[in-house]
Amino acid sequence: MSLSASLPDSPSPSPSASPALPSVEALRAALGKVADPEIGANIVDLGLVYAIRADATGVSVDLTMTSPACPMGGLIVDDARAELQRLLPPEIPVEINVVWEPAWSPALMSPECRARLGWED
Amino acid sequence: MADLPPPARLPLLLLGMLSLLGGVLAGLARLGWTVPTPAAQAAAVHGPLMIAAFFGTVVSLERAVALGQRWAYLAPLAAGQGGILLLAGDTSPLPRLLGALAATVLVAASVQAWRRQVSVHAQVLVLGAACWLLANLYWLLGGDTAQASYGWLLFLILTIAGERLELTRFLPTPAVAKKAFSGIVALLLAGGALAGVDGGRLFALGLLLLAGWLLRYDIARRNLRAEALPRFVALCLLCGYGWLALAGALGLSGAFAPGHDWRDAALHGLGLGFIFSMVIGHAPIIFPAVMRVRIPWSPLFYLPLALLHLGLLLRVGGVLLGKLPAHAALFNAATLAVFVLTLLTQVGRGRKG
Repeated sequence: MSLSASLPDSPSPSPSASPALPSVEALRAALGKVADPEIGANIVDLGLVYAIRADATGVSVDLTMTSPACPMGGLIVDDARAELQRLLPPEIPVEINVVWEPAWSPALMSPECRARLGWED
Repeated sequence: MADLPPPARLPLLLLGMLSLLGGVLAGLARLGWTVPTPAAQAAAVHGPLMIAAFFGTVVSLERAVALGQRWAYLAPLAAGQGGILLLAGDTSPLPRLLGALAATVLVAASVQAWRRQVSVHAQVLVLGAACWLLANLYWLLGGDTAQASYGWLLFLILTIAGERLELTRFLPTPAVAKKAFSGIVALLLAGGALAGVDGGRLFALGLLLLAGWLLRYDIARRNLRAEALPRFVALCLLCGYGWLALAGALGLSGAFAPGHDWRDAALHGLGLGFIFSMVIGHAPIIFPAVMRVRIPWSPLFYLPLALLHLGLLLRVGGVLLGKLPAHAALFNAATLAVFVLTLLTQVGRGRKG
């Protein structure tokens, strides 16, 4: 049973109130919905998300790609932006930077992802 | 310099699709089918239309999107335009010159990508583009299409191989396997260069070894256990590797040499079986990346995949039994139409949903 169901009289959050920004962890979880269909894993588990910064002025994310010759980059950036904007009030700008330094390496993948792909840690 | 917005990429894609349509019809004309005049007069340039014009356009479009720089779109524009001129019956050097220009721009774009991040896979993509350029220059200077075909095929084989190598970075690939990969690429290049001497046997050996390498080390086998799109892509890849191996095996007996009875089977095992399997598998991924439209996953994509392999079995089986592959080729052509319709149906569904 959810909390709101047990409290039928509690007011729903008003859109006009200044909403708190979601935590960096919540933003990371949202980015975890962006998948790379070629590998069948999401960009967070693959270690492609380098940094997430959030404050009242906006959210900015550093993303890397594994290959500068892959055309998927733009689409992944669009998908990442869409997932973040779902969590954020419309006035908060989202900036996604594609960075190439430091270069991605398999060590950046999550332990679960590495195990699934056959790495023995 | 800014990127080209997705709507402006559509005419480039359509140019490529016209070369595909014309190229397929030109292939049917070769086998005795009556087709519209532009395609009929282009029967002799079926190969250049399919590889240099159609694939040249889509591969260089894909690379331009990856690079995100406007000058790189000159490659698909020139390649596509060259294809249209071939279909218009232009026998001047202009269409071949446009092909050489397109390949030069793709080489430059691939070098740019390689400089952004130095790696073996990016190097292989540069080599692939260079093969396209060499073949186009050879053809421009009056060389025959049979020898140029090795360069055109190497362009696509190395482009696919480089992209597959990139994805093996997610797997614990042994160092010896990486060395073996470079050895196979060197063997393929040597095989292409020497094909006039040995009837393409060394080239065929390279194909066979590449198929073995991909079956062993590619991420595809692992993704067969995945679901939906990743599983479909994996199946396309593995079927493609099977055809790559078969084309290699046929080629070992000299099937790539002009005039050989099995040449149609070897070339189409490679071109349709290996290369078009990649296209069918990757279109649901790359098309949205290039055009920025959503393509929802649907099991409907299995239909063109099944038809492709069924039609190709009929074609290769028939050729090996000494039959003219006219009906099987019609089946193959219809399959490509089904594939394009499937893709467009899903684009339509994506727009509604």
